[in-house]
Amino acid sequence: MNGPLLRCVDFVELVTEWMDGELDDATRSEIEEHLVICADCTVFVSQLRLTRRALGDLHEQNMSSVLRDRLLEAFSAWTARGSD
Amino acid sequence: MDLPTELGDEAADSPARIEVSVSHADEVALVEALRAGDQAAFELLIDRHATAMLRVARMYVSTAEAAEDVVQEAWLGVVRGVDRFEGRSSLKTWIFRILANRARTHGSRDGRTVPFSTLRADGDDQATRSVEPGRFKLDGRWAGYWAVPPALLPEDRVLGLELRATLDAMIDGLPARQRAVITLRDIEGFTAIEACEVLGLSDANQRVLLHRARCRVRAQLEALVGDGGPRQ
Repeated sequence: MNGPLLRCVDFVELVTEWMDGELDDATRSEIEEHLVICADCTVFVSQLRLTRRALGDLHEQNMSSVLRDRLLEAFSAWTARGSD
Repeated sequence: MDLPTELGDEAADSPARIEVSVSHADEVALVEALRAGDQAAFELLIDRHATAMLRVARMYVSTAEAAEDVVQEAWLGVVRGVDRFEGRSSLKTWIFRILANRARTHGSRDGRTVPFSTLRADGDDQATRSVEPGRFKLDGRWAGYWAVPPALLPEDRVLGLELRATLDAMIDGLPARQRAVITLRDIEGFTAIEACEVLGLSDANQRVLLHRARCRVRAQLEALVGDGGPRQ
């Protein structure tokens, strides 16, 4: 790449698109070349990857027991009616 | 992320270990069980999705109570409609589509119009930068390069159990549309196409919202557990 180098401030805006494989080939190459030379942006990418992993691990267990009971009650009422 | 999720055996007894991504066979089994009125299948599904549904509902309705009503209505729609589920989309996409429809109906009764009004109400959706501008050098030869570089995040802490509640709170603290998008994409594992379809967003909007949301959570994690502050 001979043109002006991608700056970090622009790089950080493109990471999600890059991770989703949404970038055109030229921009993708710029991103990947920037990563080769920029340890800081490499850390930034690892932060975002880790953030995504942590979110993927979130278990949906903090629903209030009130709501859970409400939903189960509604389900029981529904199945009871269905079987009549 | 690649743990098998067979429904038949011990997996059904330990919903906490069941991963978000579900194989087709699991899904067929779940749908069949739900059609048969199997409460365990219903419990498994609500434990897996109801919290995310509350978050998505909040994109359309203004109170937590209204969101709970929407979620209950949506589940009723699911059990009533499961006989008509044909598997053309994944079960979770189908469930969230029902949710979004109920929430939109509720939201318009609620006097809350979306999604464009929330673009402004969300405030930060209008910010043009995903990372605080002060983190970059302003002038000189290295303008636009990091002035305060990102800190290393300790993987064991970020992925550890103690941070789960904090992460939940971070997601809850996001602007409504960012919260809905990151919930579907990163917690529920929706593809971009599925998330756009459920939320009625353009692909470009969806991507911007997702990126903003991830960057906000990233910044908060860095402030919380970043390794010894900025590296020099």
